[in-house]
Amino acid sequence: MIHFDEMACLLYLDGQLDPARSREMDAHLTECSSCRDLLHALQHETSLLSSALTQDNESMPAHLLSTRGRAVPSWIWTLAFGAFAASAYWFWTDGIGPWLDRLSNAGFGGADVFSMIVFSGAFWEGWSDMIDAMQIGALILVVLLAIGWIRRRLRRPVAIAVVLPLMLLALALPPRAGAAEVRRGKSISVSAGETIHNDLVASGASVRIEGTVEGDVIAFSKNLTVTGHVTGDVISFSEEAVIDGTVDGNVRVFSRGVNLQGAIGKNVTAFGSSVDLGSKANIGGGMIVFAAETDLDGKIQRDLLGMVGRTDIGGLIGGQAWIRGGNLTIASTAEIRGPATFEGPQPPEVESGAKLASPIRTEITQETRRTRRTAARSAIHAVFAYGAALLVGILLLVSFPGFFRAALRETGAIGLPIGVGAVALITGGFLLIVGVLLLFIGVGAGVAGALAYAPVVYVAQVFVGAWLGNRIMGEAPSVTSAVIGRMALGLLILRIAGLVPVLGGLVWIAVLLWGTGGVLLGFYRLSRLESAPLPA
Amino acid sequence: MSPAEQAALQERITLAKSGNAEAWGELYHQHAPAIFRFCRRVMPTREDAEDATMDIFIKVRQKLSQYDSTRPFSAWLYTVAGNHCWDLLRRRKLRQDLETGEVETMPLEHPDPGQLEQLIERRSGQEVRRALDKLPARSRMALVLRYYSDMSYDDIATTLGVRRTFVGVVLLRARHQLREILEGQGGASLAAGGAA
Repeated sequence: MIHFDEMACLLYLDGQLDPARSREMDAHLTECSSCRDLLHALQHETSLLSSALTQDNESMPAHLLSTRGRAVPSWIWTLAFGAFAASAYWFWTDGIGPWLDRLSNAGFGGADVFSMIVFSGAFWEGWSDMIDAMQIGALILVVLLAIGWIRRRLRRPVAIAVVLPLMLLALALPPRAGAAEVRRGKSISVSAGETIHNDLVASGASVRIEGTVEGDVIAFSKNLTVTGHVTGDVISFSEEAVIDGTVDGNVRVFSRGVNLQGAIGKNVTAFGSSVDLGSKANIGGGMIVFAAETDLDGKIQRDLLGMVGRTDIGGLIGGQAWIRGGNLTIASTAEIRGPATFEGPQPPEVESGAKLASPIRTEITQETRRTRRTAARSAIHAVFAYGAALLVGILLLVSFPGFFRAALRETGAIGLPIGVGAVALITGGFLLIVGVLLLFIGVGAGVAGALAYAPVVYVAQVFVGAWLGNRIMGEAPSVTSAVIGRMALGLLILRIAGLVPVLGGLVWIAVLLWGTGGVLLGFYRLSRLESAPLPA
Repeated sequence: MSPAEQAALQERITLAKSGNAEAWGELYHQHAPAIFRFCRRVMPTREDAEDATMDIFIKVRQKLSQYDSTRPFSAWLYTVAGNHCWDLLRRRKLRQDLETGEVETMPLEHPDPGQLEQLIERRSGQEVRRALDKLPARSRMALVLRYYSDMSYDDIATTLGVRRTFVGVVLLRARHQLREILEGQGGASLAAGGAA
């Protein structure tokens, strides 16, 4: 007798055989005990499976049963908000506030740094095009519509968090984009007698401006030389920048060597290894210098603000001077018309003959000068920073447990998140600079981009901390408090490691890259999940 | 479920669809434990099961308007749950034991019923559950969808992304793997099958 095979028996039991075959089976079963037995055994197996799967059910965890499961207790929000407010206040009063005073003293007048960057057009006068009430109104409307659209399409906040900053960036495209003349090549030169009636964006090994640019010059080059006339701003990233001509606007230079010999109508900001202001140079506004060494023999009509290793002043400073650094020498030819302050390890050398409005106020900065009060302040500050990071972690865990675990899981891969974090931060930083300065995007979008990046970078430590805690105490079980405990331990270790000189800095860099990668990968995984097909 | 219970459930669903938080809460309380158990059976860890349960109900809430009330609610719920968990497993690095490719056909065998009975007889539910945990993800998923969620072959095919005609093969193969594991724990040799 030919028996039915096991597959046919299973399909028969599950009612999946076609009617003809099923009838055939019925007939066969009446006379074949072996097939009957097999059917019975399979049925028995089915019921064993069913009962094994349904009996001995684990109870559902209480936090899942609670309808408030995803709600964050209000005290956590209050505490978190308080900690943030305190940290922000601290940051402002200790960090930004004094700087703003100095910046405004140094000729970057305006109530605050935001208005300085965004509204005064100090960075980019084209921004003023955007400062039009109707445009802003339209922008807000578009953003609101976009949020509505996104909410309908992507209901998860995670997806919104990813998409919105990108949209903001895209929306902030200023109408001037594309207006500039772009030149690329090994050697770019605007010869004497040539006039460009437009902004000029130039990238090449050597950029020479001997003619006239009726607009701004933005240069990416090894060498930049301006001997002609630029009616707008000069913004430059180069190894050597020499400005020997006339710039009616501002000069912003990021170069190894900066040599200013000509006339600059407005303000100068210079980042470089060495920054020289030649004796013939004249700056109509103020000057900000970040450099290893600087020689200031020319004229600065308004204030000087510098963080410089070695500063020699031989020229004129029309306003106040505030300098912090290694040492300061004021030559006999120098003249400072406003009050001057120097913060450094040793008093400034002032040659006789130098004209000073008042004696230089000197603050000797030494580690030993740290009073017990400032030590206490920094200790409290550290505790606050730790507490704030922990609270952010708790909020994330309680509010977005799926995201928290996804990011934590990704962080655990170590190599991949570090790589992703490095790429993201480097390209992000690069795009930010290019975005702001090249103005394909605009300052507003640059600021928006930075604001969107900041939280990601901030929460990086949370996931590295949680990972570290897990490593030390073992994988956390599902109980939230156990996860929080591990996170608290991990963050504490990171904070303590961060206090070690040099090594601490490296630890923080690694944590930032690593955690940022984890967060971004976590976002990515969740967004991929969002696009998974759902049953209709 | 009695007609009265059925009517109450439908009313709750209608209310929840219209945004009534209380009705949604009741719906959640009623069905979450079963979905959690489902997740517990198919996901590798308890933590994964908790996460999956939460995410499934987020999806359910979003997709509630798409629920066709002519279909049993729990069946729809298991479909959402099955899709979500299978998707999670696929996205994890569990590919080595997922067997996501098309299923090869099974040899047509007729095992010795006596031996099979003997193997099953001596097994407790706990032993079977332990053996289930050792199964490759797709086999485990298929058995849970069929014998815990009582899902139809069509729905299993959709969830696992295999052709409808191969669902039986997946299930039978899973049973064989399960027998092999149980047998490794001291049963008679059945995995190789009996006389053809």
